[in-house]
Amino acid sequence: MGLENIKTTLKNNQRTFEIKSPIIGASGTYGYNDEFEDFINLNYFGAISTKGITLEKRAGNEGDRIFEVQNGMINRIGLENVGIESFIKEKLPILNSKNIDFILNIAGNTIEDYEKLAKIANDNKIKAIEVNVSCPNVKSGCLEFGLNPDNLFQLIKKIRKNYNGFLIVKLSPNTSDIKTIAKAAQDSGADCISAINTLRGLGIEIEFDGKKFNKKSVKGGLSGPCIKPVALYMIEEIRSSTNLPIIAMGGILKLSDLFEFISAGADAFQIGTANFIKPSICTDLAVELSDFIEKNHFKNFEELKKKIKETK
Amino acid sequence: MKTKSDFKGEIINIENIAKDTCKMDILSSMEKASAGQFISIFCPNTTLRRPFSIANFENNTITILFKLKGEGTNYLKNLKKGDNINFLAPLGNGFAIENKKSLLVGAGIGIAPMIFLKNTLNKKNIENLLITGFKSNNEIIEGSDRTVVGGSVLDYLDEIIKNEKIEMIYSCGPLPVLKGITGLSKKYNISSQIAMEKVMACSIGVCRGCIIKLIKNNEVINASVCKDGPVFKGSEVIWD
Repeated sequence: MGLENIKTTLKNNQRTFEIKSPIIGASGTYGYNDEFEDFINLNYFGAISTKGITLEKRAGNEGDRIFEVQNGMINRIGLENVGIESFIKEKLPILNSKNIDFILNIAGNTIEDYEKLAKIANDNKIKAIEVNVSCPNVKSGCLEFGLNPDNLFQLIKKIRKNYNGFLIVKLSPNTSDIKTIAKAAQDSGADCISAINTLRGLGIEIEFDGKKFNKKSVKGGLSGPCIKPVALYMIEEIRSSTNLPIIAMGGILKLSDLFEFISAGADAFQIGTANFIKPSICTDLAVELSDFIEKNHFKNFEELKKKIKETK
Repeated sequence: MKTKSDFKGEIINIENIAKDTCKMDILSSMEKASAGQFISIFCPNTTLRRPFSIANFENNTITILFKLKGEGTNYLKNLKKGDNINFLAPLGNGFAIENKKSLLVGAGIGIAPMIFLKNTLNKKNIENLLITGFKSNNEIIEGSDRTVVGGSVLDYLDEIIKNEKIEMIYSCGPLPVLKGITGLSKKYNISSQIAMEKVMACSIGVCRGCIIKLIKNNEVINASVCKDGPVFKGSEVIWD
């Protein structure tokens, strides 16, 4: 059973992505989707975005990968993943058997990597892909496309040629001009924008043990409630330069966060770090959103969105 | 009912048992747990949950031991009998118990899963000896057959392994101790199982944040401490 009043359609011209709820599990926080089943009911999930998948298997970064900060965390996983071949062979059948929509998150070092991944996604009839051009934790590629509008334009154009499904581009906040970048995504054929990926951050722990200082540090991507104001700002900027649907993320924890992101220009949401705090959060928020709509006599999520966006 | 779940539990006992060390008993509907598994407690004042080894499980009651370290444990310390907490459990894989004369080595708060393991071995009538090391007298946690204060617990193990004809070692504690244990198990050609610790984000195997390297079938692989562990065969762990 789904919640009828929050069914969502993300739409760009003729291409659509229909989901049971506007609440999506963010890439990297849902694995390949078999791990969370012990803890939650996935029926109310809009979709999950898979871990970032690359052409070849990746072992990820050495050393400490997680650093907790006030109201957030820093990660430097480094795109550890099984590689597209294993994903198609081992993980895709699991996902397909579960009656849950998913978005294939893809990342690469070169344009050719992305082109190949897009072709494989197309051949396997994957409904939606999220092009990751914003991972701060890998040495080459990826972010280079996300920070330069011309590079991004060339990349998305090439991907578009190989992929007919719903093409989402995940943008980085680590830029001074997200408007131009969002516009480049739209002009090159993207159907939707998701934002924001993590912010660059550095966590340092330095403690005195009575004799000497001991230091531990982790440099990576900052996420969690502490980045919400940055995310809201970025979503509003993106909304001002494109009319593509926007999937917003960055520190979402509660129902009022969803309203704030709608007000900034969002059409759907991704939940990341909060899954670690509360594994049932995506389901809980879907139910809360649906109840709010019903209790306050809105027709559906679309109408609620319209009312919020009209509020200046 | 699912065996793994998001539980709500009631604190039925909380007490100070040593310097900066607390013991907490939590009553919940959790039905099963094995030594080496852990629970991940939601602490409202921290971003991430806090993992704790299960120090005993009997009559639906989970016992945990914790050392005051930061904001998470500070929250737990201030809870009272009757308060409720939320936690994910039982997580990870516990010790694979074998019917062999066993040496259990704890270091500091690493004694927690060793107590649960000792209780389990005793119930199965498997001969065992628990030795634990603490930095100072006021940090001693009860429950060991032998207690070492100051110095390293590792210094006492050669003798015990030889004299007691130990066939299996289980351990939990800081990395240097665990590394020492795997060295000893190699030296005496006996198996070892060690419970590892690493900062975790999800605690259920999705985020790949708590990765260590293992060697299995001559291949180096990543393993998550939270889902593939926290217990690993000592011979498989690659030390940096």
